[in-house]
Amino acid sequence: MIKNQKLEKLVVFYEHHSRMPSFSEMLRLWNYKSKNSVYKLVNKLAEEGLVKRDKNGKLLPTGYFSEIAVLGTIEAGFPSPAEEELVDTISLDEYLIKNREATYMLKASGDSMKDAGIVAGDMVLVDRSKTPKDGDVVVAEVDSKWTMKYLRKRGDKTYLEAANSKYKPIHPKSELKIAAVVIAIIRKYK
Amino acid sequence: MTNKPLTLHSFPHAILHIDGDAFFASCEQSRNPALAGKPVITGKERGIASSMSYEAKAKGVKRGMVMADIKKNCPDAIFIPSDYETYSLLSKRFFSIVRRYTPDVEEYSIDECFAEITGLQRPLGMSYERIAEKIKAELDKELGFTFSAGLAPNKVVAKIGSKWKKPSGLTIIPGNKIHEFIKDLPPEKIWGIGPQTSAYLERLGIKDTLQFALRSEEWIKQKFTKPHCEIWAELNGRYMMPLDTSPKSRYYSIQKMKTFTPASNDKAYVFSQLSRNIENACIKARRYNLSVKSFTIFLKDSFFETRGIEVKLSLPCAVPEKMLKVATEAFDLLFDKRNKYRATGVVLLKLDEAKIDQLDLFGEILKIEEYKQLYGTVDSVREKYGKHAVYLGSSHLAHKMRQHEGERAEVPLRKGNLFLGETKRKRIGIPMFMGEVR
Repeated sequence: MIKNQKLEKLVVFYEHHSRMPSFSEMLRLWNYKSKNSVYKLVNKLAEEGLVKRDKNGKLLPTGYFSEIAVLGTIEAGFPSPAEEELVDTISLDEYLIKNREATYMLKASGDSMKDAGIVAGDMVLVDRSKTPKDGDVVVAEVDSKWTMKYLRKRGDKTYLEAANSKYKPIHPKSELKIAAVVIAIIRKYK
Repeated sequence: MTNKPLTLHSFPHAILHIDGDAFFASCEQSRNPALAGKPVITGKERGIASSMSYEAKAKGVKRGMVMADIKKNCPDAIFIPSDYETYSLLSKRFFSIVRRYTPDVEEYSIDECFAEITGLQRPLGMSYERIAEKIKAELDKELGFTFSAGLAPNKVVAKIGSKWKKPSGLTIIPGNKIHEFIKDLPPEKIWGIGPQTSAYLERLGIKDTLQFALRSEEWIKQKFTKPHCEIWAELNGRYMMPLDTSPKSRYYSIQKMKTFTPASNDKAYVFSQLSRNIENACIKARRYNLSVKSFTIFLKDSFFETRGIEVKLSLPCAVPEKMLKVATEAFDLLFDKRNKYRATGVVLLKLDEAKIDQLDLFGEILKIEEYKQLYGTVDSVREKYGKHAVYLGSSHLAHKMRQHEGERAEVPLRKGNLFLGETKRKRIGIPMFMGEVR
């Protein structure tokens, strides 16, 4: 009990002066007669980790002091542990989109990709920065229109293939202009 | 004329200026292959060309031309209503891509920026030239249309570079090569030199930019004011104008202007247009927590003549009711029944952070505080149900009528092409490919 009162006085001193007291100041602070008793109490507090001492033996504050000093202004308690856990989650946006600056969307129409599970009205996310590979669903420019198909590479030939047997493969007459690679299909029901 | 370099250094600073080629028209062409290679003109809703594709430029279409005149020179021109939402989305992407390489980016306008890449060769492991190439290549690929860039030791010369070869150019002008680029360049081509200054230069016997750059510093200082002295110094390869990289989160002025067709001399209708502009400007001011000390209202008549009046508020606020009260008097002075009007506008000036400095004698500030609370609620209703879920009675006529009758009434394609869950007022912030997808 007595020790706690002495500690309280230290805290008050720290609050007023923004520093820890010297030994002679503690002598007066605690109403002790000898520096030796000051020394003993300081050692005890140091053992309990309530104060620290530098290499010259002078007192240093610990977290205990600053915590008490700011208690009056803090209203919230500990941050909710849920918050820390959430650091490791990503949003649906982040999950779907890798390169934000290169991502575009379009609305699917027709039934040429129905066997790939893409139907009219679907929201299609595409990435302009991706290098198109064999088997990717791509958006290409054919006869001044967008077309969404599988990209097929056979030897040095490149062509587009629908996911519907009704449609014939598209073999480009000149260079095949691929604008973007499909990265996701989104279908919202409600 | 001498062929001596103006400076011996190449890149004491390395400044890149990047400019989107025919930005708005390119945004349209890149999302719709049916428009590629064709003369495309945006600005249909205003009836004048605001941006035109290179195909349209080749046929003599210039910015500001009236639709009817364009049709004469360029009968196959395709007019498109401006889709500022998409242009802004692409503009933001433009700046983000440049920021992959350097944080020091000045967003000069919707389609232009400066980037400082000084000292980045080592950290990026590339030459300045290579950095510029990479940035340009990523922009071209990821935005789907081309950009032109200039690399130079300062802004003024970087601007010369980006204009040097368009479209899709990358022009590198080290300090010791500036003289080669400016020797036959008319001074009015320089950023910051207008027709006035170039006429003055001509009177002084200066015909091209190199002659200007070669004059002595004393002579320049005698004849010109500081901004032009800085241009002179930059033409000599010095670095005078640092980039303004502060994010545009603080608005020093906000303007809202809207054209409507047909032109009208119905006082109540024209006022309702102004009222809506004031409301919209206040929404923006409140979003940035700003209040207005004074503002200008203006009216544009069918002869494209614009007249405006500045009005002051006794207490700064962002409350449309307060502003409309004073705006009414100014409007009465401006409005002339004999004229038909085609646009109204408002510019909010002297914007400052909204906070209470001192109480006034008549308790006015308390009323403004009440309004603040009211508009806090109004803004959250708008947040939830769209920008125009709630509006003032004085704006009603403008809301009731369509902004443009007839051909110009066409809305941007994106607004007529919504996904389930999107509304006319709120859409997903990702640019959309347009036209049929087969």
